[in-house]
Amino acid sequence: MTMQDVADFFTSSIVHKWIIEQFWIFPLCETLHFIGLSFMFGSLLVIDCRVLGLAKFISMKEAMKFIPVAIIAFSVNLITGYFFMTSDPNNYIYNYGFQWKMVMIVIAGINALWFWLGEHKQLLTLADGEEAPFRAKVIALVSILVWITVIILGRMIPYTDS
Amino acid sequence: MIMDLLLWYENGPVGVFERESLWGYPAILTSHAIGMATVLGVAFTLCMRVMGFAKGISIQAFDKLFVVGWIGFFINLVSGILLFSGSASTYFFQWAFQLKIGAILFGGVMLKVVMNSVRANNSELTQKFFAALCMTSWLVGVITGRLMAYITAS
Repeated sequence: MTMQDVADFFTSSIVHKWIIEQFWIFPLCETLHFIGLSFMFGSLLVIDCRVLGLAKFISMKEAMKFIPVAIIAFSVNLITGYFFMTSDPNNYIYNYGFQWKMVMIVIAGINALWFWLGEHKQLLTLADGEEAPFRAKVIALVSILVWITVIILGRMIPYTDS
Repeated sequence: MIMDLLLWYENGPVGVFERESLWGYPAILTSHAIGMATVLGVAFTLCMRVMGFAKGISIQAFDKLFVVGWIGFFINLVSGILLFSGSASTYFFQWAFQLKIGAILFGGVMLKVVMNSVRANNSELTQKFFAALCMTSWLVGVITGRLMAYITAS
């Protein structure tokens, strides 16, 4: 299967036709994508700033309640992102900005898995004001930096045509 | 008078740089997106907390996150002023832009109102009402911000 086959698959879908014909879908998805981004980044800021020690007096257990918010917001962005790509697959699939954005999202996912499987349980036992372990801080820092990179790459897509 | 001022800003070195530089506009636009995610992220999570989510977090503990929010706001203020220079004479008369600026100002004031309401220990319902109003205002700011790309001047 070539990249072009993937692009053709999306082009032939009914969603592609729908987005092309209905002028309001793209702006609506863009707006939802930005709202989703803000909720997700905000949730990650609460968790990551707590882990990094910048907001030590936020209860770690309570901060973790923002994980589902981040997941829901990410799902909104995944769906709206799918709509963007389906609207013009030949532009997105060959676009360097888009390709690197996807790579960074995969890295962010691996980092989140590492956090969940390796650090989450131990972090829940932290008292208010207690420092998180160094490894957890590295994960939190990577999380913030990777997501900022995702935002940068996402914004650069219109300017990074292959 | 206003038009002269807008055209002076638009045709000045900042406006010319923004329109003609290869990387100027994308770089400023990207900064604006990062700033937006930061300010709104802090505002949304605070409002969610006041509305009853993650009740175990002390609302005062959000003070530290406000520092991060202020950094985001500053990035957006600077990048917003720079973006405005690109088409000042158009944006100024666009209803979406006017509503966006109004929503941001109102949202900023509401953040202060929410925190004051918490500190004054107002009724939970009052605090939640202010938080809902604050979140709605910021949402209007995002929606109208996106609409600016699709709507011409009124």
